[in-house]
Amino acid sequence: MSARAPGPAGSGSVINVRDVRKSFGDVKAVDGVSFEVRAGEIFGLLGPNGAGKTTTMEMLEGLGKPDAGELLVLGLDVTKHATAIKQRIGVQLQTAALFPQLSVAEVIDLFGSFYRRRLPASRLVADLDLEEKRDAQTKNLSGGQRQRLSVALALVNDPELVFLDEPTTGLDPAARRGLWHLILGLKAEGRSVLMTTHYLEEAEAICDRVAIMDHGRILDIGTVDELIGRRFRERAIQFDTLPTLGDGQLSELASVTRVAHEDGVTLLYTADVPETIGALLGAAKGAGVEPDNLLVRRASLEDVFLELTGRALRD
Amino acid sequence: MRSLISLSRANLKSFVRDRAALFWTLAFPVLFVILFGTIFSGGGTPSYDVGFVDQDGTPAVTQLRSAFERSGFVTLHDGTLEAEQAAMRKGDVAGIVVVPAGVGAAITAAQAGGAPAQVALTLYTDPSRAGTAQALQVITNAVATSTNLAVAGRPPVLGVDHESLATQQLSNVSYFVPSILAMALMQLGIFAAIPLVQQREKLILKRLNATPLPRWTLVGSNIAVRLVIAAAQTALIVGIGVKFLGVEVIGGWLAIVGLVAVGALTFVSIGYVIASFARTEEAANGMTSIVQFPLMFLSGIFFPLEIMPDWLRSIATFMPLTYLGDALRQVMVGGAPFVPLGVDIAVLGAWLVACLVISGRFFRWQ
Repeated sequence: MSARAPGPAGSGSVINVRDVRKSFGDVKAVDGVSFEVRAGEIFGLLGPNGAGKTTTMEMLEGLGKPDAGELLVLGLDVTKHATAIKQRIGVQLQTAALFPQLSVAEVIDLFGSFYRRRLPASRLVADLDLEEKRDAQTKNLSGGQRQRLSVALALVNDPELVFLDEPTTGLDPAARRGLWHLILGLKAEGRSVLMTTHYLEEAEAICDRVAIMDHGRILDIGTVDELIGRRFRERAIQFDTLPTLGDGQLSELASVTRVAHEDGVTLLYTADVPETIGALLGAAKGAGVEPDNLLVRRASLEDVFLELTGRALRD
Repeated sequence: MRSLISLSRANLKSFVRDRAALFWTLAFPVLFVILFGTIFSGGGTPSYDVGFVDQDGTPAVTQLRSAFERSGFVTLHDGTLEAEQAAMRKGDVAGIVVVPAGVGAAITAAQAGGAPAQVALTLYTDPSRAGTAQALQVITNAVATSTNLAVAGRPPVLGVDHESLATQQLSNVSYFVPSILAMALMQLGIFAAIPLVQQREKLILKRLNATPLPRWTLVGSNIAVRLVIAAAQTALIVGIGVKFLGVEVIGGWLAIVGLVAVGALTFVSIGYVIASFARTEEAANGMTSIVQFPLMFLSGIFFPLEIMPDWLRSIATFMPLTYLGDALRQVMVGGAPFVPLGVDIAVLGAWLVACLVISGRFFRWQ
């Protein structure tokens, strides 16, 4: 796809959301949300269904009006300049909305005709691996193909900023990885991406920064490392339990804060991984044994989510 | 403009590739035309009942009368002009021959070698029954010519004046072809609700809303597509009627096209009202049926209003299809008006405006 220079926006932000609220009847779908997406990054809204991710995203796309707050996209106020913004953004909705009786190429051409700036259909078809299905009616596409076509439509105007709403929901693992690769490719081309997901591993794999949402609020924002580091300073050293090393001895090792056991493995929580590993290897050598399957485990986004919301994030 | 054209093309392609839509809007009305054509175009030797109004009362008229009867194609019924016109409107006679006072005197004078001023018979025919009108003209002209030949060598003394008398007694096929066109336009318009609700339900409208495409383009494209299909329906139905069923179209194409457009727009606006209240495609299907069938059978498009009981006729008076059928019949085949053409168009226009206001208020894009 077209290479895009980082440009002056490279340092600025492409999305600014300030204290946005939106209710449907008595339900506060979005309840005072603020965040910023920087140019050239992949930003993820992570949360369970009903967290307010899609409502937030659709307000940014100009599909819904906020009750209060400010929404800036590419520096423009969405409530005042929706049409100008729509020329420059790419949108993929949660449900792939395609004309069932039109072919892949026809749908791409149709959407291309709505924009001043457009990429050739042949290139999109090639980039999204839809060549085989070029002339197939969209109602006959598989889930993964529909999703790829839906992404192709989001790119038809060569957008600076791409909105992807749950882009990999319902895809098999291979198709999901294919789409991750594609989204990382968008970033490599200099585009900014705002995506929603309820898959933790997806956010960990491709998002530069993540906002964790629940009940219409953002609970925390940062890179995955920051989110984990803010709550879980200590890491755990894990190895197959050695009967010769007792818990008493292990807890005496340098920097160890806590000792735990899980299904035949021992966990040493530590504030200083190298120091503890050194001490552990020394103690093992002294006892004439060697720790098997030694690895360093850190807290995951899942632990962060659990800590923030008090429950696990499941599909 | 580019996006309007490409969206219209996309919608038209979607329509053409949807077999069910294609059947209901094109094949179904054609089947109707063929069905009615077969039922009502039964042949047989033509014989016409003709009113005969003798305002002259001289013996010369007897010769004219026997000249008509010798042709073998007409049966004469005597009466006053008023009585015969009433009979013609009721369909009891197909035409009227009037022998004005002074005809006998002129013929007698010519036979005596004089050169009286020319006199003329008056022939009333119904232009919407073109075949019959033509036959009666030929017969009447033949009678006048034979009378003139009998007084050979003189300038022709007897001519024929033609008068039109529109009746409600159209030939059955001529009556039904505009009716079927009206029905087809009604269905086309009302069924506009279905792709609209489909596109909303499948979130296509929402997706389109996320593009810079202005909303008027969406509406404009829907209307453009419906008008294109309306043109195809008109060409097909009128074409079959004229080509195979002997329907004489007397109206100008411009008037017919204009009326078809007004009718299509009115019923598309009713389709938009349905789409405003139907949440799902199934609901839209149900609502189009609920609207469609009473319109079809209570609008006087298949049963003339005159033969309806009063209560039914007062229902029909509210149906927009009554007025589209009436207008098309007047313009296409010269049917006798139920109300003047202007009133037909005004009623359709009122429905159009009312439906636009309602759907403007209640239509939801997502």
